Amino acid sequence: MTLLPDWLTEQSISRELEAMLRNRSPESLETMAARSRAMTLRRFGRTMTLYAPLYLSNYCSSGCAYCGFASDRTTPRRKLDEEEIRREIAAMKQLGIQDILLLTGERTATVGFEYLRRAVEIAAESMQRVTVEAFPMSVEEYRELADCGCTGITIYQETYDSMQYEALHRWGPKKDYLYRLETPERALEGGIKTIGLGVLFGLSDPVTDALMLYRHARHLEKKYWRGGISISFPRIRPQTGGYEPAFEVDDHLLARIILAFRITMPDVELVLSTREKPSFRDGMAGLAITRMSIASRTTVGGYLEGESPDEGQFEISDSRTTEEFCQALRNRRIEPIFKNWEPAYNGPSHQTRPCS
Amino acid sequence: MDHLQLGAYTFSSRLILGTGKFSSAPVMLEAVKASGAQLVTVALRRFNREQLEDDLFGPLSEIPGITLMPNTSGASTAAEAIKAAHISRELSGSPFIKVEIHPNPQHLMPDPIETMEAARILASEGFLVMPYISPDPVLAKRLEDVGCASVMPLGSAIGSGQGLASAAMLSIIIRESSIPVIVDAGLRAPSEAARAMEMGCSAVLVNSAIAASDNPSEMAAAFRDATEAGRHGFKAGLMAESTEAVATSPLTSFLGEQS
Repeated sequence: MTLLPDWLTEQSISRELEAMLRNRSPESLETMAARSRAMTLRRFGRTMTLYAPLYLSNYCSSGCAYCGFASDRTTPRRKLDEEEIRREIAAMKQLGIQDILLLTGERTATVGFEYLRRAVEIAAESMQRVTVEAFPMSVEEYRELADCGCTGITIYQETYDSMQYEALHRWGPKKDYLYRLETPERALEGGIKTIGLGVLFGLSDPVTDALMLYRHARHLEKKYWRGGISISFPRIRPQTGGYEPAFEVDDHLLARIILAFRITMPDVELVLSTREKPSFRDGMAGLAITRMSIASRTTVGGYLEGESPDEGQFEISDSRTTEEFCQALRNRRIEPIFKNWEPAYNGPSHQTRPCS
Repeated sequence: MDHLQLGAYTFSSRLILGTGKFSSAPVMLEAVKASGAQLVTVALRRFNREQLEDDLFGPLSEIPGITLMPNTSGASTAAEAIKAAHISRELSGSPFIKVEIHPNPQHLMPDPIETMEAARILASEGFLVMPYISPDPVLAKRLEDVGCASVMPLGSAIGSGQGLASAAMLSIIIRESSIPVIVDAGLRAPSEAARAMEMGCSAVLVNSAIAASDNPSEMAAAFRDATEAGRHGFKAGLMAESTEAVATSPLTSFLGEQS
């Protein structure tokens, strides 16, 4: 039994959010949407920041039951070498992408820190903003990545339900719930400017997961006042291995969760990926979401070679081209923004260490 | 003539526009034109030389009669802001730099310590420094001392639409300042711009209220008119305000009595 910290379990912190999530009336959803829309418009204007993922490798040492890259899958393994990374990035730039998220599986002998550090360096040569979604690292490693131009780290707890977490992460380093939970703090300590949090909705009770995710974000906000926070809302998609989600999260509930986060965290960036279908993405764009992925490929080498079926980390629901997606945003009077960062601001942030 | 003086530059318009948050560059450009603004600010992070339809700098630089004031939004330290100022001057040729340093990317409150440091260095390098600050009268004077061209205290938090929540502090800054005081951030309604000008602000900077409006051009025109009206009101001198009751029987008639 994992002993969870008080800041993660104290229910009073998330009372307002909980009230919005427990009430499932359609009327309350409309009211929330109107409120969330006004708050998003006021704080972020009519804009959407765009990014795209680059899967560097699908080697993995973990046994996540819900993931197409888990080490027991028969998926062919591959990692991009430096030349291939450059070519993929060039192909992404052809699509207009200037903000990139680099991804790997869990740390392995084949794909470790040095490989990732070098990939960040290469990406920072031509991309305006580089963020990473990979394996948990040490404070020193995060500092090195920040030095090379990495400004953000995405690290999902996947589920905050420690029993489910134990069951779903069948083996590998990811089994350690608390080590993963503390990862955002190590990243911020290391000078990473923005931390991306999230749960994979469907792995456990979605309301409980949402409440714990919120408490996690609030904890980081207090402890690391310079840290930027973004929150993503992925839900289980079909993937190799055929995992069936234990909890259903329908469009209404997912929308309710996203709107409730906007209302309770008016200033944080809320992210939605191409896992979601076009109608849902377009609809949420004006209501709460401020950052979206585009033209995504979830296979290694997918930008140059095209997507090979059944090999991605998960299935994509929104396969529109950059132009099609941007036009859909413009039709809603939202400006797509490809560059919303300046590399002059790269480098480790100066976190003041909190007194403890 | 009644002009806004910033360094060696004079402007007849006292409305400055922010250029982010609009639904498209053409909508933003229309709003800038409708506002009558002669000075607009644009974030260095929105300079995009690779993808022109995403770029704000290029189209703005083509409008005649507009002076660009790059800003350092996104910088979290003095060092980053100084680096951004140098790049901005190189790219835009503008001597203006709006120093915005917000270490907390959520609420975007300006860091007074880093701002002071960046302003001191950039002013000594010849920039026309326009620092975005919390409404702190002491900080405003300290920035004046190091040679800033103006101070830009916030009316309320960026994008909050809470108007002149800081009015009491702003009035102290206005009373004491020898350089232009420009209210930046938080204004929601044109009437708030008028009020800021009536208080004696030299100019106002508006972005969200115009960009988030259903009709940005019309809202820009409304802010233009309100800013002018407020300025006229200030120059003409507002009638003294009184909310106190006047006693029907004099309270001081005993003064000067013989015994």
